[in-house]
Amino acid sequence: MKHFETGSEMGRENTLLRATLENMAQGVAMYDAEHRLVTWNERFVEYLDMPVEFLGTDKTFSDYIRYLGSRGEFGPGADIEVELKKRLALLDKSHTFERLRPDGTVLEVRRDPVPDGGFIAIYTDITARKEAERRLREDEERFRATDAASPVGLIIVSRDDGSIQHLNPSFVEIIGRDSSELLGKPAVSLFADLEQSAALAAILSGESGRRTEFRFDRNGESCCVMISLADLEFHGNRSVVASFVDITDRVRAEEELKKAKEAAESASRVKSAFLANMSHELRTPLNAIIGYSEILVEDAEDRGDDASIADLGKIQSAGKHLLGLINDILDLSKIEAGRMDVYLEQVFLSKLVSDVKTIVDPMMGKNDNRFVIECPEGIGSLRTDQTKLKQNLINLLSNAAKFTKGGEVRLALSRCDDENGTKRIRFDVADTGIGMSDEQIGKLFQSFTQADSSTTRNFGGTGLGLTITRHFCTMLGGTVEVTSVPGKGSTFTMILPDQVAKSVAHAPAEPRVTRRIDGKAGMRILVVDDDPAVHEVLSATLSREGHEILHAYDGDEALKAMRAEPPDIVTLDVMMPKVDGWSLLGIMKSEPVLQGIPVIMLTIVDDRNLGFSLGASEFMTKPIDRARLLGLIKQFSHANSVVLVVDDDADVREIVRQAITSEGLVAAEAENGRRALEWLDQNETPTLILLDLMMPEMDGFEFLDRLRCRDDTADVPVVVLTAKDLTETERAFLAERTILVLSKSAQPAGSLGHAIAALAERGAKSETST
Amino acid sequence: MAKILLVEDNEMNRDMLSRRLIRQGFEVVMAIDGQQGVDMASVEKPDLILMDMSLPVINGWEATEKVKANPETKHIPVIALTAHAMAEDREKCIAAGCDDFDTKPVELPRLLEKIKALLARAD
Repeated sequence: MKHFETGSEMGRENTLLRATLENMAQGVAMYDAEHRLVTWNERFVEYLDMPVEFLGTDKTFSDYIRYLGSRGEFGPGADIEVELKKRLALLDKSHTFERLRPDGTVLEVRRDPVPDGGFIAIYTDITARKEAERRLREDEERFRATDAASPVGLIIVSRDDGSIQHLNPSFVEIIGRDSSELLGKPAVSLFADLEQSAALAAILSGESGRRTEFRFDRNGESCCVMISLADLEFHGNRSVVASFVDITDRVRAEEELKKAKEAAESASRVKSAFLANMSHELRTPLNAIIGYSEILVEDAEDRGDDASIADLGKIQSAGKHLLGLINDILDLSKIEAGRMDVYLEQVFLSKLVSDVKTIVDPMMGKNDNRFVIECPEGIGSLRTDQTKLKQNLINLLSNAAKFTKGGEVRLALSRCDDENGTKRIRFDVADTGIGMSDEQIGKLFQSFTQADSSTTRNFGGTGLGLTITRHFCTMLGGTVEVTSVPGKGSTFTMILPDQVAKSVAHAPAEPRVTRRIDGKAGMRILVVDDDPAVHEVLSATLSREGHEILHAYDGDEALKAMRAEPPDIVTLDVMMPKVDGWSLLGIMKSEPVLQGIPVIMLTIVDDRNLGFSLGASEFMTKPIDRARLLGLIKQFSHANSVVLVVDDDADVREIVRQAITSEGLVAAEAENGRRALEWLDQNETPTLILLDLMMPEMDGFEFLDRLRCRDDTADVPVVVLTAKDLTETERAFLAERTILVLSKSAQPAGSLGHAIAALAERGAKSETST
Repeated sequence: MAKILLVEDNEMNRDMLSRRLIRQGFEVVMAIDGQQGVDMASVEKPDLILMDMSLPVINGWEATEKVKANPETKHIPVIALTAHAMAEDREKCIAAGCDDFDTKPVELPRLLEKIKALLARAD
């Protein structure tokens, strides 16, 4: 791309110049005095995207500018003649400017006049440099914004002279001084207080990566920051950036927590000491009251002073009652403090029973009760804590004596080994007394709660006895349960293992197992709650329904119990120490063995959506509505879903029964409507009724009519299974009273199982939701 | 009639129990601390000792051990009397050589039965 004269000398120089031009990183264009383009290199063509045919000595600088302008190089709508004039005016001296080309590249253009007129233009592509500058600028802006908005205080201090290079608004705020004027000053002048400043300066001169807690006085307020150091190069200086995080609130909260913990511990110590002292201080005068009143009774007896005997007897029995109360409270506080120890020894049952009889005989006499003991010969012994077992028996028997008048109290002992082969002794204490309602039973094992408040009025007692009894049973690895009919009497059943497992004796918090002994098929339900009262209530409610209850008091225990033997249903408290209910639910749903177990969340906080999203099956808020809980459990329990099959054809009944039982449901059969009604009289309402229409004695239509008139069965879902061709009227009748009509010919009875199971489940659900 | 040594530091308890035992026809001698109890056991040669456990000078367990270590007195049955709160110390009582124990406050009929049983065994 050149237009030079030829000739050997000139030719060599030209070749040299050519080579120089072509090897330059810049685009070069030279114009003569008439502004004609005389020489240029490839880069010039490339940078300006010049068509080759346009270049040549016949073109002037003006032509070339006009051409570029016409191509839009100077931006849309630019006036070409104005642009040209601007450029021509500059040509008599050296100048440099930047040009942004439409394709985004940036060229630096430098034009220098040459001595014989004309000029040279040099084009440099500075796109990359411009981009780097832009990035740097953005970084700086970002830093400035972050620096200003960050709650973390930042200060940059020179490593060389300790001067403050930079500080951000949060730093100023955290330090509590208007330190903007401190820029450039030494870091030791950050505080007015010299000691404080020196301490901070020492921290700031620490190694990179160090984290230090620094306490200082902020205008009279005691504050605390966490200072982290990191080396950095700042404006070419070796510097350190220190970040200040205000942890005053956290530190304060921690201190308060520590104080609260210490206060609680000290309160607990005080309580223990108080109880120990109380036991001594209260007992000593009581001792005198009881002892001297006894002496006075004996004296009065000698004198034949009957009037005094009665009054002295009242003093004595009031004293004994008070003593019993003190002993109970002490026992309970010891149990609660985990300081009640278990002493195991071989206890011979016949001896134990005769000891107990001596003690309770006078109580039996007081209410004219017969006391019957059934203790099989050769019942032998068990290894347990004699004192606690005896106390339990006396407690149960004295309760029975107290609530029974002119009736019978029976103590029956028997051996009952459980399914794991563990040898157990069963103690039944049955009375013919006033009995209790279900509601009263629910409250029975709670501290200071008797069956109802009138009980205390009429029968006295501390309300602690059964709580202690239950605790003792647990400590001995056993259980105590009650069945009762109001007006008929109550039976307390205590079951203790032949041997107390070491772990039970020393760790009463192990998951406890309450078993129903009547063999009714129930669910294994794991109750997870840190509140023992919830365990008591649920145990009472659920075990009466024949369910087996497992207990766990925190998430860890629950997981251990579930992994050992997965339960059928889990009831889960949300608020627990250590692992909370949500976390536990999360863990369960991530374990293949546990994820299928239905979980009923029991909670004070109604966080239904969170519960369902985590996979909870059902949700209940405390206080627990027992009827609803039972409904829910029934819903999860196939074992309790009974389907009544009403059909006169024994073969059909058999096929359907098989289909039903293969789905884990229970089938009941009746051969006609009348029989079905009889069955309903004697049994609990089934989950579903499968009904044939054409039957002898009472057909399906009449049965449906009667069924819907009964209170207990008005809502039972009915599925009709018929071979009959139905009339419009019949269809309408059935549509009102049944949920589905299946044709026997269209639907082989054997394939019904799954559909029936689904219907039964739906039926159970709608039952519980009403 | 049988002679009972009552070792008890609390005056009121001593007074009550001694009066009731005397009323039951026992001869009662008393000591007010553990050491005195040990000494009186060998001097008085009682048929039975009722020993409180929390005693001054030497406590009831120690006193019982001394009584049982002395060939002259080791045959004398000892009933330990402990406060209800101390019931868990009964193993300690047995370990110290007590023949039986009872809790305070004393229920006289129960204590009498224990006394009679031990005296009958000693005969």
